[in-house]
Amino acid sequence: MRHCIAVACAPNLSAQNIAFNEVARRAIITDPDFHGGDYYAHGVVPKRGLRVARMLGHITYLSDDVMDEKFGRGMRNGERVYSTQEVEFQIEGYLRHQGDKFSEYFDANTYLLITRALDYFDPAREHGGDLTRAFAAAIARFLVVSFTTDWRFSPLRSREIVKALVDNGLDVSYAEIEAPHGHDAFLLDDARYHGVLRAYFERIAHEVGASAGPAVPVHITAPTQAGALRST
Amino acid sequence: MSERSDLAIIARLVPPGSRVLDLGCGDGALLALLRDQRSCSGYGVELDDTKVLACIKRGVNVLQRNLDEGLSLFDDASFDVVLQLDTLQNLRNTEAMLRETARVGRIGVVSFPNFAHWPNRLSVLRGRMPVTKVLPYQWYDTPNIRVGTFADFEVLAHKVGLRIDEAFGLHEGKVVRRWPNLLASTAVFRFERS
Repeated sequence: MRHCIAVACAPNLSAQNIAFNEVARRAIITDPDFHGGDYYAHGVVPKRGLRVARMLGHITYLSDDVMDEKFGRGMRNGERVYSTQEVEFQIEGYLRHQGDKFSEYFDANTYLLITRALDYFDPAREHGGDLTRAFAAAIARFLVVSFTTDWRFSPLRSREIVKALVDNGLDVSYAEIEAPHGHDAFLLDDARYHGVLRAYFERIAHEVGASAGPAVPVHITAPTQAGALRST
Repeated sequence: MSERSDLAIIARLVPPGSRVLDLGCGDGALLALLRDQRSCSGYGVELDDTKVLACIKRGVNVLQRNLDEGLSLFDDASFDVVLQLDTLQNLRNTEAMLRETARVGRIGVVSFPNFAHWPNRLSVLRGRMPVTKVLPYQWYDTPNIRVGTFADFEVLAHKVGLRIDEAFGLHEGKVVRRWPNLLASTAVFRFERS
């Protein structure tokens, strides 16, 4: 591999991140329709669990500020209806909508496995927890990008990756993009973020003598919750 | 420090093949020059988005960091040369930064606007803060929060335990070796830990 672009990443999941995953998994597993994973045999899908898992996920992909800006304390019907079960605040409607959508297309067992795989992801583990040693065999050139308001995969975690790469003397550039959108920023159209990506890809194109479209194996990693669970 | 001749003069202070860290690397012009003409490698550190982008366009390694947060990314003695060109005057903790520079690099090179350059003295004598090509800002709107002189740096370097092995002034693309504290708009020092 000659190039690696790592966007909104971490060298492993923190306890907090594993905790979020575990809550999501419990929501699915404790859904009566889960049937120990054999839900298709029973002709059902643990939709309630998937919905809750997705709602939780969505909270962690957004920053407090952007959520406040988008929804604030806005009410769906303008007035309080004094219900604990109805959607009252706009944020509730948003989360329920995202949960509903997700539960229609995402397979529950896949969700469990992907989140567990993310929990396990820890390249430093077999090097005594030393990330620098984990990268010692790397030969690729790296572009690492993080977003300032991403609290689930914070810039601090990206800097750990950068440090390990610098320790090994590897080629690396690191952009810390000031974006308000939290982890979600990596999916959004941000001029600075896209500018950096475009410039890096143009260097690759230049390197391989291509005029359009890089013909070089490029691996974009975003081993993050949203990245793994957002194929559609 | 973007003038071509200035860059060439600074580049000559960097031994060929060096591992270089350029703090406040701007658009990466010097790193590109050192890479292409002196087979150097390394990284630039820059805070400004536009300049970071310019570095990536040049194919120069750049790390987007605020230097006021220190150099914790870098291990002791991990570079042959640490450059700090036209940067020192923008940082809050000048002394700590110099110590950090000496920690991560074998050789340090700094440049900064020399406040004792005679037109600046004249301006202050007339009662006004100088606004010049090298110090182009009004006093109330300047990123230069630490103005010092050529002579001041020699004192600070001594205090921090640095041995200066090369010191000269720069003015309009030319090296000034005679009375640099008076005749040079920019001060340049190369030093090692003593």
